[in-house]
Amino acid sequence: MKVYVIRRLGVSVFTLVVASVLVFLGIRAVPGNPAIALTGNANLSPAAIAAIEGQYGLNKPLPVQYADWLRQILTGHLGSSPVTGMPITTELSSAFPITVELTILAMLIGIVIGIPAGIIAAVRRGKAIDYAGNAIALFGLSIPSFWFGILLILIFAVLLRVLPASGYVSFLSSPGSNLSHMVMPAFVLGTGVAAVLMRQMRSGMLEALRADYVRTARAKGLPEPSVVLKHALRNSLVTVATVIGLQLGVLLSGVAVTEEVFGLPGVGDLTINAVFQRDYPTIQAVALITAAAIIVINFALDFVYAFLSPRVRVEGAQ
Amino acid sequence: MSLTIAPDPAAMLEAAGQSGRHWLRRLVERPPAVIGLAGVIVVVVVAVFAPLLAPYSPVASSFQAVLARPFTAGHLLGTDELGRDVLSRMIYGAQPTLEVGVLATGLALVVGVPIGLVSGYYRGAADMLAMRITDVVLAFPFLLVAIGLAAIFGPSLRNVVLALGIASLPGFVRIARAEAMALREQDFVQAAIVTGVRDRVILFRHLLPNMAGPILVQATLTIPGAILGSALLSYLGLGVQPPTASWGNMLATAQEYLFNDPWLAVFPGVAIFLATLCFNLLGDGLRDLFDPAMR
Repeated sequence: MKVYVIRRLGVSVFTLVVASVLVFLGIRAVPGNPAIALTGNANLSPAAIAAIEGQYGLNKPLPVQYADWLRQILTGHLGSSPVTGMPITTELSSAFPITVELTILAMLIGIVIGIPAGIIAAVRRGKAIDYAGNAIALFGLSIPSFWFGILLILIFAVLLRVLPASGYVSFLSSPGSNLSHMVMPAFVLGTGVAAVLMRQMRSGMLEALRADYVRTARAKGLPEPSVVLKHALRNSLVTVATVIGLQLGVLLSGVAVTEEVFGLPGVGDLTINAVFQRDYPTIQAVALITAAAIIVINFALDFVYAFLSPRVRVEGAQ
Repeated sequence: MSLTIAPDPAAMLEAAGQSGRHWLRRLVERPPAVIGLAGVIVVVVVAVFAPLLAPYSPVASSFQAVLARPFTAGHLLGTDELGRDVLSRMIYGAQPTLEVGVLATGLALVVGVPIGLVSGYYRGAADMLAMRITDVVLAFPFLLVAIGLAAIFGPSLRNVVLALGIASLPGFVRIARAEAMALREQDFVQAAIVTGVRDRVILFRHLLPNMAGPILVQATLTIPGAILGSALLSYLGLGVQPPTASWGNMLATAQEYLFNDPWLAVFPGVAIFLATLCFNLLGDGLRDLFDPAMR
């Protein structure tokens, strides 16, 4: 177990370093002078460019620049946005809670719907409820999340006028209003997650139900619910944990566009606005933080695998 | 028993043809897969023959007929805020959608399969490298890659293809790697190794044709993801730029007119949904053929 954890940690750190190098080089790939990219001012005099190059250390060799940049980030200095003039850490700290809340709510909805639906479909394989579940999951998988969001706005905000069409209220200032703004975006994302989880859960469960240990459990006379929920479920959750890790990037992309549809000022909204304003330092900061978050979550999921499946623990130790 | 290592091209072709007919026939026996296949054919035909099918130019505006409702004379699906025929824009909008879906998937396949093939066959250092590449790719959501490319090079269809192609890469690497690892242990590959067949021949003549099925399934199921991704990016303004019509950018403008002219937001969304659904149905049907246990 210890060897497995240390090895996964090594892999995660390596991935993080490569990701940070890519983000670092990305901003240097912007055509033209990096000083212009960093300040967002295209009309700089050569003297001003030289001054900025000195300030940001752009005249030093690339590896030195990278080391300096990394040191700044690790001490919490992400720079400030050339567009708004605000420190990027300030902008992120107001946007981050919104995105985290939305992602967690969406994951909860997805898990609550997707996991039981997948189990039921696998256990009742080939029955009407299996076909119905599969059909609904296929719909959930094929519907564009942003369009689903627009449809919900059309129904619940425009026609029925029961929910706000867009905007955000902090949970601390008004929990009820916060949730009424969050329910549609969380549902849009949650159904997408549920569709993916349901399909994975079903196929993982089908595989587990055919395994020898399940036959043994049945043979020794365990009641069926215990066979399904204790023996088969635990092993099929390993596949589901893998899928969650693989789907994280897709989910976060979905979160960003959903924020845009519902006018939520989260990290996605911040980033998309940054692109159109050529706010490179903000894009750079968000890219790095997102990549780091995904790598950390995947590392956490590695623990979940090890916890769920002794096989992974042993193989990992070899 | 004689071991035939060098495959007889004629026999191989015949075998491929037979198995090809075989799975096509079995595919046709499944109603959802047939619906999917029919839908995919419709989308392809509409995209290819758009200039023949569209009643108007997709960019010609008519200020006498702005925001005409659907089913008005001459405009079956109405007109948009610039008086452009919505039906014509829908027909032309199929082009970038399909183009991105197919090109991004093709890019991921062409790059990902050889990486997976080599890493699964040789294991060791090659495997290590391939797995680390996919780790890094997985750390960047496709939207972030698209944003980065758009920020550096400006928004374009090419960036969308690149971003979605990169994001789809790990799927193909995984499939090809798993297949190569399994096939390597089989007798015919072991026999080829023992008799000194060159690695290149083993990889591309012995392994690759035997993993065509799972790769085809992966490709068919990657296209709908890429279609959704491309619609999403073009909705955000990172893809095809107006006035060129895409279903995604039509939705973006439609949202501004949601309160008074909601139908503008309905048609492009239905089109994206149905196109994605049909590719998913076809992909699921193909997967059931190659892996019947999962039905």
